[in-house]
Amino acid sequence: MEGRLANSWRLTVNDKNFIKTALLSEIRIDGRKPFEYRKISIKFGREDGSSEVQLGQTRVMGMVTAQLVQPYRDRPKEGILSIFTEFSPMADPSFEPGRPGELAVELGRIIDRGLRESRAVDTESLCILASKFVWAIRIDLHILDNGGNLVDAANIAALAALLTFRRPECSLGGEDGQEVIVHPPEIREPLPLTVHHLPIAISFGFFSNESILVIDPTHNEEAVMGGRMTTTVNANGDICAIQKSGGEGVPQRVIMQCLQLATSKAASITKQIKDAVEVVNTERALRKVKRHPTSTGVDVREKQN
Amino acid sequence: MEVDREDGRSQNQLRPLACSRNILHRAHGSASWSQGDTKVLAAVYGPKAGTKKNENPEKACIEVIWKPKTGQIGKPEKEYEMILKRTLESVCILTVNPNTTTSIIVQVVNDDGALLPSAINAACMALVDAGIPMKHLAVAICCCVAKSGYVILDPTKLEEQKMKAFAYLVFPNSVHSVLPEGSLRVEGEPIENGIITSVTHGIMSVDDYFYCLERGRAASVKLSDFLRRNLQQQSTDSSKAG
Repeated sequence: MEGRLANSWRLTVNDKNFIKTALLSEIRIDGRKPFEYRKISIKFGREDGSSEVQLGQTRVMGMVTAQLVQPYRDRPKEGILSIFTEFSPMADPSFEPGRPGELAVELGRIIDRGLRESRAVDTESLCILASKFVWAIRIDLHILDNGGNLVDAANIAALAALLTFRRPECSLGGEDGQEVIVHPPEIREPLPLTVHHLPIAISFGFFSNESILVIDPTHNEEAVMGGRMTTTVNANGDICAIQKSGGEGVPQRVIMQCLQLATSKAASITKQIKDAVEVVNTERALRKVKRHPTSTGVDVREKQN
Repeated sequence: MEVDREDGRSQNQLRPLACSRNILHRAHGSASWSQGDTKVLAAVYGPKAGTKKNENPEKACIEVIWKPKTGQIGKPEKEYEMILKRTLESVCILTVNPNTTTSIIVQVVNDDGALLPSAINAACMALVDAGIPMKHLAVAICCCVAKSGYVILDPTKLEEQKMKAFAYLVFPNSVHSVLPEGSLRVEGEPIENGIITSVTHGIMSVDDYFYCLERGRAASVKLSDFLRRNLQQQSTDSSKAG
């Protein structure tokens, strides 16, 4: 019972040494090889724009909502994309409720940079009436279980939610065409967002002895590693963002190796996300067909023998 | 009187229930509860050392954190936290671990009516999963009163908004005991007739309220059976290591 009375979780020195020594023989404590990713499972909720991603033991939920607002003054023709990350206290005993800590802010910024700066989401198509009404897309990421490598899982959750989100269709009306009419989903089919490419974040962990490199660290490895780097790349081979904040110095060839690895992993993860979204979209389309039983009867021709 | 509900249920029919425990790895106890489309995830950490500032150090303290699906935390979330905290304080045995805090975190995954009862049920299952000592389980149900006076159970969000009034009721679960018949009664009535929490919205007459209580009590027996089956089944499959 004594262990559970602790408010924060610490790894013992024995555990840390075991992880480091195992890595010298290229063995990781969960049985993976150094450049192997954990199993990713992407599930979707009932609503459009809600996703739940499980990366090994890490679990993240993404939710996308949209609202009509006034655009920023210096960008009157662009929509607004904002990301809110919630490090829920259920994910880790050391996460406190209330204001997001620096880890949460950093995670939000990495994902934000990957989506916004690389123009993955087309914000100009979100403009309804310049300088008056644009769609503000809000992505809420809830971290439910911290099994390590939250950035990658949260990024996949954000992308999956964006791809399945549908915004209501609206048209201009009123006397001078200055009013916006938002059509409810029953009247007009809601529209998907325009996503040009999928920036995938891949994280690496560096260990001090003999510059060992692992991909997708678990939370045990995160407690031991000397430095981390997150690269956001897409399936076309473009680098969208690289984040390496402090930690130990790493030679240039290792960085190049990381980028090459990231590009190959990004291709397979992109395919996985697209496949999962495809399945959900077909399911939704089928559900819509069933809802309107006004289809004409099928006439069966009898074979004239 | 036959009532037409949108999803074809009868007055006293609950939505399909689904519950799974031990779904999170870091939390000491976790449970996911879904009633139809309403889905809630609850996680428990505890007991942790120390109590909060204004709490009694002679007893264990319960802390509830409610996380809505989207948006800022406002007054409704604080109210839910308070109701959950008081309900669970009356269900847990607080004298076993004095001067400790048990945190319960509730995450709303989808809200389609009867959110608070689902959260209470999920929180109880998460407490069982964590092994926190409790006197009995709390079984929560939502009853709605329509303008014409009939009562329906477990409304969806649309039904909740259309109805004149609704009440969230929490009862202790029904007891199967090896003790002799009379010893578990409180003032001559069996324990499960007691009511732990009642939150009402809207106007209803006194008779309507008692009718709701009666219906709620009957439904809580069914819910208790579901909980019992669920807990017994899962406890035979796996044991939580460490």
